[in-house]
Amino acid sequence: MTEKISLTVNGKLQTIEVEPEMTLLDVIRDVFNLTGTKRGCDNSTCGTCVVVVNGKAVKSCNYPISKAQGATILTVEGISQGMTLHPIQSAIAESGAVQCGFCTPGIVMELYGLLEEKPEASEQEMTNALNKHLCRCNGYEPIMNGARVAQELIKERNKASE
Amino acid sequence: MAYKYVGKSYIRPDAISKVTGKATYLDDFRIPGMLHAAILRPTIAHAKIVSIDTHEAESMPGVVKVVTGQGCKIHYGDNIRDLTPMAVDKVRYIGEPVAAVVADTVQHARAAMEKIKVEYEPLPIYTDARQALAKDAMLIHEENGSYWYLPTLNPVPGTNIANLYHLKKGRGEEGFDEAEVIIEGEFNYPLGSCSALEPHGSIVWFKEDNTIEVWSSSICPTIIRDDLAHAYGLPISDVRVRIPDIGGCFGYKSDITVEQTIAYIASFVPGYPVKWVATRQEDYTSTLIAHGIRVQMKIGARKDGKLVAMKSTILHTGGAYADTAVNITVAATHNSTGPYEFPHCDSTGYTVYTNTPAVGAYRGYGHQESQIATERMMDMLARKLNMNAFELRRINYLCEGKTNALGEMMWKSNGNVAACAENTIQHVFSSPKKVEDDQYYYGRGFAAVMKSPKGAPFSTKGCYIKMNIDGSVNINMGGAEVGQGLRTIVRQIAAEALKIAPEKVRVYSELDTQFSPYEWQTIGSMFTMQGGRAIVRAADKLIKILKATASQVLKTDEDFLEYDGDFIFLRNDPGIRVAVGDLARGYITSDGITIGELAHAVSDARLPRYSNPDKNGQGSMGVTYTFGAQAVEIRIEKKSGKILVDNVVSTFDVGQVINPLQIRGSVLGGVTMALGAALYEELLFDAEGRITNPQFFQYHIPTLKEAPKQIIDFIETPDPIGPFGARGIGEHSVIGIAPAIMNAVYDAIGVELFEIPVTPEVIKKALAAKAEVK
Repeated sequence: MTEKISLTVNGKLQTIEVEPEMTLLDVIRDVFNLTGTKRGCDNSTCGTCVVVVNGKAVKSCNYPISKAQGATILTVEGISQGMTLHPIQSAIAESGAVQCGFCTPGIVMELYGLLEEKPEASEQEMTNALNKHLCRCNGYEPIMNGARVAQELIKERNKASE
Repeated sequence: MAYKYVGKSYIRPDAISKVTGKATYLDDFRIPGMLHAAILRPTIAHAKIVSIDTHEAESMPGVVKVVTGQGCKIHYGDNIRDLTPMAVDKVRYIGEPVAAVVADTVQHARAAMEKIKVEYEPLPIYTDARQALAKDAMLIHEENGSYWYLPTLNPVPGTNIANLYHLKKGRGEEGFDEAEVIIEGEFNYPLGSCSALEPHGSIVWFKEDNTIEVWSSSICPTIIRDDLAHAYGLPISDVRVRIPDIGGCFGYKSDITVEQTIAYIASFVPGYPVKWVATRQEDYTSTLIAHGIRVQMKIGARKDGKLVAMKSTILHTGGAYADTAVNITVAATHNSTGPYEFPHCDSTGYTVYTNTPAVGAYRGYGHQESQIATERMMDMLARKLNMNAFELRRINYLCEGKTNALGEMMWKSNGNVAACAENTIQHVFSSPKKVEDDQYYYGRGFAAVMKSPKGAPFSTKGCYIKMNIDGSVNINMGGAEVGQGLRTIVRQIAAEALKIAPEKVRVYSELDTQFSPYEWQTIGSMFTMQGGRAIVRAADKLIKILKATASQVLKTDEDFLEYDGDFIFLRNDPGIRVAVGDLARGYITSDGITIGELAHAVSDARLPRYSNPDKNGQGSMGVTYTFGAQAVEIRIEKKSGKILVDNVVSTFDVGQVINPLQIRGSVLGGVTMALGAALYEELLFDAEGRITNPQFFQYHIPTLKEAPKQIIDFIETPDPIGPFGARGIGEHSVIGIAPAIMNAVYDAIGVELFEIPVTPEVIKKALAAKAEVK
């Protein structure tokens, strides 16, 4: 019944036995206990379950685990370094984008998928990415403000490391 | 007034844990030995349960127990005890618990649940108050009137009316004899949903030592605790309820809701914690829903625009259980005047049992539902009087010396609605309206708003502060953080009151009835005002204790002493002083003898002189008010009938802004939420009483691209009740949006609308009807 899957989660190669009908979200939350990734709807609408798979932001609630064989997965727990937050995390924390916080991890990972791949992303590209996420608290303006600050911080960081 | 810490933006104490994914919500709890529940819901909304066959479910993999409501004797509720944890012999709405499976995993519980067979005998289904009020309507609760209920309520036995509230001010309906112009209208705010991103859920654990432990994504741990203790015959102190981080509330996680059901299920497997988290579908069908309020309104005025009388009738589709709806009906009824003075009022609110999920709190609590009528009718009345609608409102605003429907006199400190209106009008109406072009009609609309809290005689908020030997403090309260940012507000108010840096104030991070001070529930936009006042009062007590100890150390009278956050010192010789940290555990003298008291203090606050209604339905039931004014600029796309909201302006008199970043965030979110209600959101029911859109992809809530540009301003007329003059703002931003949009639609295309959501189909239909008349 079960199948064996190997995948890299937050930098660590893991081999696990899973039920084939499990989704990536089930595995992240219930096998790895990485509860930062949220379950908000189960039908790929709200965006709270977004993680980064092979560099791209994806909704993990409709991502069959078999597809994740050999994949590199990043969750919200895997992007800060010790006490140092990722620039997206610090920008979102300070912009007023955090209220209840339930949509926050998905939004952070969406922006990670976009801005780490494409730091020069246009305003339209950021809007398109964030439009895949529901937030009931803050009317989106502070999220967009945080995204813009995050983009600047990433550009500065990239410049400094050139 | 300028303060040191109040009025400035600080980062939320919980921001870092939330951006790193470390904030812990209900579904994130993993307790050793924990079992999982799945709950079976009926297939029709109103039916007798003929039989339940659990045989096959019991033998499914992983199943520990199958539970039904047969023989369940528990009735619960805070206002009316009309609720049972599980359907006993009858189901009354589509999301009702009929049976449950407890298993080792959620998947096993759900698979077994599918195997439970239930035979129903269908009964007539009423999804609207008007159907359930019909003369020959079947009783949804034959027991109506015989359940325990609060003495202020008035159920009507032999009908589906769970509560009847009547308000009379002045000469009531007779007052219309003073009117020269009378207009009438009927408006509808349909059933909707709070739709927080985190679904509701609970964990309940009946322990072998005869205590109960609960975790819930709820804002009312004390109510849950008291209710469960009552149901299971335990001392209240032996029920412990903890509240982790909450992923949004907006109302529906108030009052006791799913917890009694999960407790009932868990009581069959003592020794094991049982977790249940709503699926998104269950969050729509089986937790509290919203609104369902129809308003019939009649307004009388003199030719000069002076309002003389109002009659309003509120028909509330309250749902299958009315415990949580009754007070919303009452609020909708006595607040149906909006921010205007009517010398004569006759208002009646009917909370009606229907075969829909129970209606509960939703941000705004009855105000937007009845003021949608008031604000539409002010525009309509102005047209009838051939008068400027802003001027009509201006001469009737509730302000200093005026009396509201409840008979409460308004003071200057209640806030300045005229100033809010003036500011909002300036932003939107000072330039000429855009002219219709090939693609769009353009319109602008306005609404003034008023909201009082929902109080209760026992709605006190407690506060505990303890000072540490470095002068930092820990502060513990019972207010639930649902995202609104109250922890930041606690920190800033405590810092200001204690004259210490916010970094030295550590705010509580979870609620636990074992340790948290009393709080009824965190509702009604009341935390800043009442909780803030409790903080100030506790801080004053703490400073008094510090001074009492210091008076012994400095060998002087307490009234010669001053406090500055770092030291207690002699007023006329500040060099004679003692550091506050040295007073925190009492003062330890050089020979090791301790004198004085621990520097900790407990206090509380409530709304002063809140009262129950009298025989006319009047009384001091509001106490405090926040007024405001909102306006919108819209475009209507001719081709599609779609409304595009280009600009929303909101001005509120909040007394004192505590945190500019957070208060803007609150209004941004409230306006966006109300835009969803006005343009998209409605829970739809089929003939069987099934909800046909119980998913996010069907019940559309606004996305980033639909969020409008917003201008948000504040007027600050200090309120002496609130801390540093502040009053409530959490809910108010949702109130004026729907009527402002509908008023803008009239401005754009000259069509009077009476209900929401204003979908493209509604606009296209209205345009077609208009073309036909031409």
